[in-house]
Amino acid sequence: MQAGSADDPYQEISLVGFNRHIGPIFLLAPEDDGTQRFVFTAREIHMNSAGTVHGGMLMSFMDVAMSKTARGASATSRLSTIALSCDFVSPARLGDRIEARVRVRRRARSVVFLSGELVTEERTLLIGTGLWKVAPSA
Amino acid sequence: MSDLARPLTGFASMALADPFEIHIGPVFEKGARGSRSFAIRIDERHVNRGGVLHGGMLATFADLALGAAVFDATDGAPSVTLAMQMQFLKSARAGDIVQVQPLLLRRTRAFLFVRGDFTVEDEAIFTAMSTWKLLDQGHIDGDSGSNS
Repeated sequence: MQAGSADDPYQEISLVGFNRHIGPIFLLAPEDDGTQRFVFTAREIHMNSAGTVHGGMLMSFMDVAMSKTARGASATSRLSTIALSCDFVSPARLGDRIEARVRVRRRARSVVFLSGELVTEERTLLIGTGLWKVAPSA
Repeated sequence: MSDLARPLTGFASMALADPFEIHIGPVFEKGARGSRSFAIRIDERHVNRGGVLHGGMLATFADLALGAAVFDATDGAPSVTLAMQMQFLKSARAGDIVQVQPLLLRRTRAFLFVRGDFTVEDEAIFTAMSTWKLLDQGHIDGDSGSNS
C-alpha cells in the first residue's frame, strides 16, 4: 500500500455501538464504476477457534458495507436490512487485510438491491446479496 | 459477576471457544443436546446509531446458534458454513432478549441444512437458514468457508 494511493483507508466508519465494538472499519476510495470499497484488518478478536476469521465477522462487515452503500445511494438515512445472503467461498486468516466491494444493483422507490464480495489479495472470501428497505420520508 | 454476564432466568451461560463469540457474548443456553435453545440479551455493544440491534450481531448469533445445532447433530465433527440466508423481520433494541431453538432440516453424508426462527417475547424478529459442509468427508478446495 503506497501513501496517498486509492488503497489508503481515509475515513473510519465504525464510530458507535456494534460497528465500534467490532471495528475499526474504514472507507476506501470508490472504483470508477461506482463500486464502494471498505476495509478492515483481521485481529485476534475476529477469529474462531479453528484459526480462521469468524463467519459472523465476515457477515457483519458485509452488512456494514452494504448499509453504508445503500445510504450513499438514497436521499434518506432511514434504511434497514430486510434480507442478506452470504456464500462463504474461502477462509480468511489472522492479519488479512479484508476489503469489501459493494454495488447498488437497483435503487427503487422503497428498496435498494445490492451485491458485493469480500476479498483479500484478490482472493474471494464471501459473495453477498442484500435487500435494504427505504423508509418513506417523514 | 458483571450485569452483562448475569444468566437469563432458566438459562445457563454457554461455554464459548471462538474469540469473536467471546467478544460479542455472553450467550445463554438451555435444554438437552440436540434440542438446545439459545439466547442473548441485547446491550449497547450490539446496537447501531439509532439504538436498533445491528444486523451483523444477529448474523453472528445465527452462525453461532445454528452451528451449535450442527455440532450437536454430528457429535462435534469439524464442519464449515457454506452459505447463510437471512430475513430481518422486525427491529430489536437494547434490553431485549433474543431467543432461538434451531431446527435441523436434513442431514446427508456431507451436508447439513439448518434453520432458526429468532424471537423477542415470542414474536418473530429474524430468520436464518444455513448450509454446512462436514470436513471429515473430504475437504473442498483446501478448507472453505467459516469454521465453526
